[in-house]
Amino acid sequence: MSATPHALSGAFRRDWPQHLIILFFVVIELFPLYMMAQVSLKDNATFIQNPWLPSAPADWRWENWLFGLRLVGPYIANTVFVAVCGTFATITCAVLGAYFFARYKMPGSGILWSALIILMLLPSVANIVPLFLLLKSLSLLNTLWALIIVGAAGGQVFNLFVLRNFIEELPKDLFEAAEMDGASHLQQIRNVVLPLSAPIIGTLAILSFLQFWNDFLFPLVVLRDKDLFTLGVGLIYLDGEYVKQWGQIMAAYFLAAIPLIILFLFTVRLFVRGLSQGAIKG
Amino acid sequence: MSLPLSRQKALREWRLYFLVLPTVALVATFAYFPAASAIYHSFFEWAGGEAKQFTGLDNFRRAWHDQVLRDSLVTVSVLMVANLFKMIPAILMAVLIHRLTSDRWQYIYRALLVVPMIIPSIVTLFIWKFFFDPNFGVLNRVLDLTGLKHVLVWADQSVFHWGVFFDGVPIGWLSQPELVLPSLILWGFPWIGAVGVLIYLAGLQSISREIYEAAELDGVGPFGKFRYIELPLILTQVRLSLVLLIIATLQGYGLQLLLLTESGGPGGRGMVPGLWMYNRAFFAGEFGYACAVGMVIFVFILVLTVINNRYVRIDK
Repeated sequence: MSATPHALSGAFRRDWPQHLIILFFVVIELFPLYMMAQVSLKDNATFIQNPWLPSAPADWRWENWLFGLRLVGPYIANTVFVAVCGTFATITCAVLGAYFFARYKMPGSGILWSALIILMLLPSVANIVPLFLLLKSLSLLNTLWALIIVGAAGGQVFNLFVLRNFIEELPKDLFEAAEMDGASHLQQIRNVVLPLSAPIIGTLAILSFLQFWNDFLFPLVVLRDKDLFTLGVGLIYLDGEYVKQWGQIMAAYFLAAIPLIILFLFTVRLFVRGLSQGAIKG
Repeated sequence: MSLPLSRQKALREWRLYFLVLPTVALVATFAYFPAASAIYHSFFEWAGGEAKQFTGLDNFRRAWHDQVLRDSLVTVSVLMVANLFKMIPAILMAVLIHRLTSDRWQYIYRALLVVPMIIPSIVTLFIWKFFFDPNFGVLNRVLDLTGLKHVLVWADQSVFHWGVFFDGVPIGWLSQPELVLPSLILWGFPWIGAVGVLIYLAGLQSISREIYEAAELDGVGPFGKFRYIELPLILTQVRLSLVLLIIATLQGYGLQLLLLTESGGPGGRGMVPGLWMYNRAFFAGEFGYACAVGMVIFVFILVLTVINNRYVRIDK
């Protein structure tokens, strides 16, 4: 392949029509991000005068960001808590469960598997009402734990599906050797499954984290206290409550993205590679 | 495949069941129980409390005659068809990126496409709401700047007679009943999901440069290459996205709730079945009826999935 040092511009010249189309889409795709960043440093008057270009650095209104931080800071903390605990719970349960299905054909595992897979067809939308009442009777309503537990339950099928396929394709000899050495199942998971499936678990964990981070329909139903609001709910209330100072709102939006930016900075290689290698074959 | 197990060995390994226990407990409590409860309660008149009254099929009879539900099913069908077309840009993008000769550029574009994922989806929604704003919104400004507004006004007044676009009046994308559905479709332009593109790219990976070169020698054009080389390799992924997309569209209502509130926007033009269920349950307190609406949605999803499985086969 053409990965020589000067190939970058050479290849660009050869494929320029494709590059042009791709760049066009990429620019539109990145446009909301650009708007969010530059509007967050303006007040409404500046924005009306000059909507497109960033204002001069001297006019940057950092107070928008301060305002945003005071507003969504607590929401971010709540969401981080939910997303971290939720992802951990989801992936832990899914790895254990996938090991169970992938390793042996235990009596009853076929039925169990079909029972789980059928869930994919079950629309979660029909569940939300009874789920709300179930949480009420478990007195989990208006707690962050409700989001964690229900999110973990909802993530099981997809993660099990992917992980089972993956674990089944690991070389059987490794498990047998470990078993010869007297490793228990938990030890086999820790020493064989986890090291070998780290990239895929990483990708799944990121997807799961994103799911927790982005959810707003369910938190909207579950949470009542302003102190417990996650980002989704908080931003919805923000949208309704204030006379729109777009700068402040955009700053709040940007702050909501910062934990994800940090996450992606450290994991983008893993994530892109994980998905590109067909981690999720479907 | 997992190894079959003799009965003795299985009995010796009974502890394995503990591994699957958390999953089963979670799913049974928070997925199966609510589903069963929804089916059960769809036969009741029920405000969510202790008191409920068995009413047989009344809820379903009501749903059958419910004009809002009927309209919402039409709306969601339109959205579904639109969403099918919205799959195209991601496929196109994956193919274009894959055809680049430079691996470096392929990686750069893949990474660039992932960048928008750092915006939480709810923020993306709100940013689009901001784009749609008649006075501040970016969309109206772009239309003014490029002169497309004049084209729209001209098309409206002399060709189609919609009575929607006027010179000098900002376009109320989310406040004009006729424009609600187009706005819901336009949302998210250019409709390229990073995860989708990456998954398609994974499917395309097995095509080597030699295959392209051989095709070029045989005089296969760009469309031929897509038809005979690329499409077959990503068909599995495309079918899978199709199924997921249909299910997500049928039961989704987050977009409508945020952009148009629980009433479905002006004239209820953006009302979809999921939103109607949500509306009935949490704004009208008719939990029993909401469960019945949920069942109706479920039946539609089930039918579509069965059709999908029959005619659009997914080879795992």
